[in-house]
Amino acid sequence: MVKVAIFPPNSLILADLIERKGHEVLTLQKAVRKKVKDPDIDSPPMNLTEEDPIKGLKYAAIEVPSGVRGRMSLIGPLIEEAEAAIIVDNAPFGFGCIGCARTNELSIFYLRKRGVPTLEVKYPNTQDETTDMVNKINTFLDSLPKSNSKDLNQESFVIPGDNKSKVTKNG
Amino acid sequence: MVENVCINPDLGKEAMDPETVTKMIILGPKANVSENEIVNQMHLLDLPLTIKQTCYGAMVSGNEEDVKEAIKEVRKLDPYNIFTKDRGFPPGDPRRCRGHRKGPREGFHQMEKEFKLLGFVSDALKNPKKVSLEEETCIPVDEFEKIMNQCLAEGDVDNFNKNENNDKDN
Repeated sequence: MVKVAIFPPNSLILADLIERKGHEVLTLQKAVRKKVKDPDIDSPPMNLTEEDPIKGLKYAAIEVPSGVRGRMSLIGPLIEEAEAAIIVDNAPFGFGCIGCARTNELSIFYLRKRGVPTLEVKYPNTQDETTDMVNKINTFLDSLPKSNSKDLNQESFVIPGDNKSKVTKNG
Repeated sequence: MVENVCINPDLGKEAMDPETVTKMIILGPKANVSENEIVNQMHLLDLPLTIKQTCYGAMVSGNEEDVKEAIKEVRKLDPYNIFTKDRGFPPGDPRRCRGHRKGPREGFHQMEKEFKLLGFVSDALKNPKKVSLEEETCIPVDEFEKIMNQCLAEGDVDNFNKNENNDKDN
């Protein structure tokens, strides 16, 4: 079982496909749940504790808007925990409810920089594209080790027939 | 709006338990089961769970192992049309519950958007197909030239055979 980070980090479709294959999905809801269960916070995720901007500083500079740092304090630890990643490019705001473009860019940047096996697919608009996306994700998930990801090969390759879909494997 | 985001809810012991997880069960547009059926099925499992029937399916909250077991059993009813996702807030939390918020809850519009693709996703899951994840590179010009010459040569042979056959017929 591999911990798979997804982008958008709260997508229903991605989370479901990963769980079907028996891997652990790192969703934003899990990070939010920790806030909800925290008795110090009255109305999560609206309220921040003084620790959150400090956590966000690890991923974004002090000049970066506080909203980005606040979001990264939730998303950043998920990216650090990831052993594999699936990124959907050009997803509309509805596909995962991330409305902050700078956080999106920063999250994708850190996922790529993380050096874990990453599948990048384009957001589908038609049935054929959706079928293709699902097949690619399932093939990618099947290729991940069942126990641990430490023995992954170091290689980069692109999915055939789709210039915007690429898989990167960096052990 | 202020009252929506500043509620200090009086949550139960279970809702504040860090071990408790909440999952949403969402039925796809081509589902052959109803919300009522999946809720009944979960009740029949006799697990210590909090189950709530909703317009999109159901919400189930409890110990992680029990929730996984319940979802595993429920999926058997319609494996390709039952989808699940995590939820950060417990069922009925006034900060998210539509009844208290006086409007659509956060996440509704996202689900609405993804729901449009769920039918296609279930079709793709029904007919799985292995695709290659290897890089597709361009053929070098020299190799392409060789292949073309080979094809042309084969074409000549075919033409030659055709001509021979025509001569024999005549």
